[in-house]
Amino acid sequence: MTLIDRFGAGLPRAPVTVDLDDIQATVLRYRPEPYYGTHVMLQVTDARAGREFVRRLTPHVDSAADWWQAGRSWISVAISYSGLVALGVPQDSLDSFPEAFRAGMAARAGQLRDDGDNAPAHWDAPFGSGQVHIGVSIFSDSEQAWHQTMAMARRQYEGFPGLAVLIEQDFGAQPGDLNPLGYKDSIGQPAIEGSGVDPRPGQGPAIKAGEFILGYPGEDGVPLPMPSPDVLGRNGTFAGLRKYQSRVGTFNRFLAEHAETEQERELLAAKLIGRWRSGAPLTLAPARDDPELGADPRRNNDFSYAADPDGRQVPLGSHMRRMNPRDTKLAILTDVNIHRIIRRSTTYGTPYDPDAISPQDDETPHGLYFIFLSAKAMATLEFLQQEWINNGNFMSLGEERDPNVGLQEDGATFTIPRQPVRRRIHGIETFNVLRGGEYFFLPSLTALSWLGKER
Amino acid sequence: MTTEAPAATGSVEEKINQLRELFADAPEVGKTALENVLSRLASDASQAPPPPVQSAGRVGSRLGKISELTIIVPFAPGGAQRLRAFLRLFGGNLAGADAVGTVHDMRFVFLDNDTRMLFATAYDGDWDAYIDDFATKIPDFLDIIDSAWEGWPGIRSPQAKDYLAKYQVTAEGWYVANDLTVAETRRLRRIGQAADQFLDSVGDE
Repeated sequence: MTLIDRFGAGLPRAPVTVDLDDIQATVLRYRPEPYYGTHVMLQVTDARAGREFVRRLTPHVDSAADWWQAGRSWISVAISYSGLVALGVPQDSLDSFPEAFRAGMAARAGQLRDDGDNAPAHWDAPFGSGQVHIGVSIFSDSEQAWHQTMAMARRQYEGFPGLAVLIEQDFGAQPGDLNPLGYKDSIGQPAIEGSGVDPRPGQGPAIKAGEFILGYPGEDGVPLPMPSPDVLGRNGTFAGLRKYQSRVGTFNRFLAEHAETEQERELLAAKLIGRWRSGAPLTLAPARDDPELGADPRRNNDFSYAADPDGRQVPLGSHMRRMNPRDTKLAILTDVNIHRIIRRSTTYGTPYDPDAISPQDDETPHGLYFIFLSAKAMATLEFLQQEWINNGNFMSLGEERDPNVGLQEDGATFTIPRQPVRRRIHGIETFNVLRGGEYFFLPSLTALSWLGKER
Repeated sequence: MTTEAPAATGSVEEKINQLRELFADAPEVGKTALENVLSRLASDASQAPPPPVQSAGRVGSRLGKISELTIIVPFAPGGAQRLRAFLRLFGGNLAGADAVGTVHDMRFVFLDNDTRMLFATAYDGDWDAYIDDFATKIPDFLDIIDSAWEGWPGIRSPQAKDYLAKYQVTAEGWYVANDLTVAETRRLRRIGQAADQFLDSVGDE
């Protein structure tokens, strides 16, 4: 279902001032509903073969033109720093990329607070090894379209010398599009100025395009530094991939231990995230789930925290409020608009099972390939990991961490504000553990042609 | 001027031997004082060592959650006069910085006949976590202050962070008694006030 189908005539249109024809579709197209797809991770062992592959694939990569009404099935192409090196990109161009991108996500584990269980030493191969060079993702809204697009993509890389397939990970195809912990996800997305669609109710003011696409002014009025040459950087952006394994057994046990009835359990589950499993936000449905509200894209994000400053509906420490504090009065002077990310989260593995409570259920392979996009994805992820995810100071919550993707330490707590006194739950554990991660550059279509050129 | 945060290398014996060598040429009062302190430290050796000073990120030292930042920078022509006049507008008290929420203190010290300045602050967290936020939320305040400095590129410039790092000097020693963030201190104050109100109401009955 395209965005315009979801919102109908109510989708507010605005003038287009960014080069949608040149920007990759994935940057602006929302994840389809329902969604099916595959992430393919490739290694380039021969630069010439790698460039040939980029040349073959580029005509099949969609642009973001008319993104609100397009998109049954599409391909995105992302290239890591080691991938750019493997493709033979000239040194002066390589040197123009941001330091954290060149180092890679594993090397930045310190800045990202990826220690303990989340440390790169525990990651699944080949993440963090420098072997992941090109990430090709297929997004589709039907099983049939997915198989067709996947077959076409495969024809471009399978069996070619100089290219090695490291991972083919299917995702999506989940009942109700629920994530591995049983929630509808990826609801909140930033509104982007000049992208052709006005902010929808609750989305907040449109954020300057330069925060998400290279070559345009950002929130401080100036464009971010761009990789050179211009043809390579402009209309591109950066993507981060975080592979999470969901500890479903631990999560279900936590809910069962801290709630008596099913209703209480579901309320606790909603307090952790800020939304009920259906997607209905606690602000609009404080006492019980409202699946109709959760399913209605025109209403399920239309709220502010003006009437909930203390978090009695949506806890200050809940995942949704941390990742987008909206109008929450924060303890630290913060510009919430410069820490937003475009999210293309993809769930893989067996669907959520509410009865899975054993430790073995923690290692059933299911979780998230969480993908986020930003013109400064590396700096933004470091900020989020340090300040909003693995810290509570900005919400006056001391050392509490994000209940969804935070790395919990022994004895960690989660505070649920209530009248007359708050409830503080002790012993919250890490529910999604990091098993891999990479930074990618998502080039424009022009840049893909440049990258594929014979040198 | 970037230097590493003080690191704990070498054994205690090595450090003490080095100290004694360096103090061999020290005035007699210094030598005596050192031996007094060393003998007292030896009797305290059973105590747990203090938490180590860490790096605050790009530059500076951090102890627990609190970091130090010291900048020594030449004034631009007329910069000292401009900055002094600006600070006097507030009676020398930049109380507006309350809104920042991570700054414990700031001092502006004019050195060497108004040719250089020392800026020192204690703040919460890592070196550059919030610099971009300040650049979009309070750029004018920062540019009024920092344009007193020679060659300040402007807070919106991609070179701003490099400029600050260039003139920052990492402290060799760093001690923090109150290892609570500004946000935690304010929260505890609110809790204390609420507790006092409650106790007052119980005591009045």
